[in-house]
Amino acid sequence: MGLIPDFKKIATRSPWLYRINAGSCNGCDVEMATTALIPRYDVERLGCQYCGSPKHADIVLISGPLTVRVKDAVLRMFDEIPEPKVTVAVGVCPISGGIFRESYAVLAPIDQYIPIDVNVPGCPPRPQAIIAGVAKAIEIWRERL
Amino acid sequence: MSNQIAILLAVLLFPGGVFALALGLALKGVDRRVAARLQSRVGPPLMQPFFDIVKLGFKRTMVPAAANETVFLYTPLIGVVSMLIAAALVPITSVYAPDAAIGNLLVLLYLLMIPGIVLMIAGSASGSPYGAIGFSREMALMIAYEGPLVLIAAAVAIRTGMGMGGWATFSLNDIVAYQQTHGAFLFDPVMWPAVAAFCFFYPANLGIVPFDIPEAETEVLEGPIIEYSGPVLALFKLMSAVKKVVVLGLGIALFFPLAPANLVGGLLVWLIKMAVLMLIGITVVRLSTGRMRIDQAFVFFLKWPLLLAVASLAVVVVV
Repeated sequence: MGLIPDFKKIATRSPWLYRINAGSCNGCDVEMATTALIPRYDVERLGCQYCGSPKHADIVLISGPLTVRVKDAVLRMFDEIPEPKVTVAVGVCPISGGIFRESYAVLAPIDQYIPIDVNVPGCPPRPQAIIAGVAKAIEIWRERL
Repeated sequence: MSNQIAILLAVLLFPGGVFALALGLALKGVDRRVAARLQSRVGPPLMQPFFDIVKLGFKRTMVPAAANETVFLYTPLIGVVSMLIAAALVPITSVYAPDAAIGNLLVLLYLLMIPGIVLMIAGSASGSPYGAIGFSREMALMIAYEGPLVLIAAAVAIRTGMGMGGWATFSLNDIVAYQQTHGAFLFDPVMWPAVAAFCFFYPANLGIVPFDIPEAETEVLEGPIIEYSGPVLALFKLMSAVKKVVVLGLGIALFFPLAPANLVGGLLVWLIKMAVLMLIGITVVRLSTGRMRIDQAFVFFLKWPLLLAVASLAVVVVV
């Protein structure tokens, strides 16, 4: 009885991240890579790890305004991620379309198609903001486990 | 009957089972921590691999529509069990000697092949094209590194057997006992080519960076394990953790099994040797090299380690 909550607490110390680029300009993706890779912002401290396959992921980082071209691929990939999962939208594009908002090829806001749990605005957001978003996502994830 | 119980306990509890799982995961934690420190990062907590396993227990397992469900779900189990049995075959000087019925180098060689085969079957059963690429790469790599391993084992067996006045002995207990009286093979110039070949072999067998070609997450998205999630993925993580203990333990038993004669000292020295072997051969190598292409790795293995292994076998037979 008492063991399950303890295990859940332990489990939240191992969030694996997966990045989906939904037509981003790569600015946010560079910031995400920075967040993970450079010593100053090391997210591995939180137990995070970027994984190659969507099936291994717990926290999904989506960047970009969701272009018409990638919509089907993104939705399919999102379905491949096993529950329980948390979605973090990185950058201003998933919220409003950002500088691409008037384009005919853009389907933003992204939450019409995918449930978004945390928004990290910015163009691009700072690594500290992305880490704060991931930390927030971990709290939401703890409740879903 | 009593030695059957001893074997069962060895597989489930001490050198295999719980001990090997915990040690493998702890080694992985040390590896990640030291790697982070070498890159001047803070790094994950030492217990991180344990957290990962617990986490995977809470995730859902998804079976892809194209997969063969039975094969997909049960092959990783075979991998874990084979590795737990293999861990019970590895002697720890003055702490544990495998039962004479199972402590055989040839049995260990066969068991060591199973994780590779499990990855191949799992990759092809998942019905994913990336899994299929992983399958073919794993197979090519296995062909490349298994040859040197068999020759290294033969060299050690013949050296021991001739030293003991016979032809070749494959008993792991005899190999350890021979080195305790005649000095470790690590300091025997005749065995140096075999030691060098083993140093090339174990990063490849464990899938460490220059040779992690089948599971390259940046090109084939983790290859054979791409479709696995949740508890079944945890089985793969456990399999590779125990495999690390088995392969490093094999290296220690073959080349440098010397240890103080008491129980605690023997275990402590064994653990230190294992950590050193891992830090030198895995952590530093994986941080300082890039991934090879499969054709480069194949040619590399057929060139250097195979040559060294053949040389060591020839030298051992002649001297």
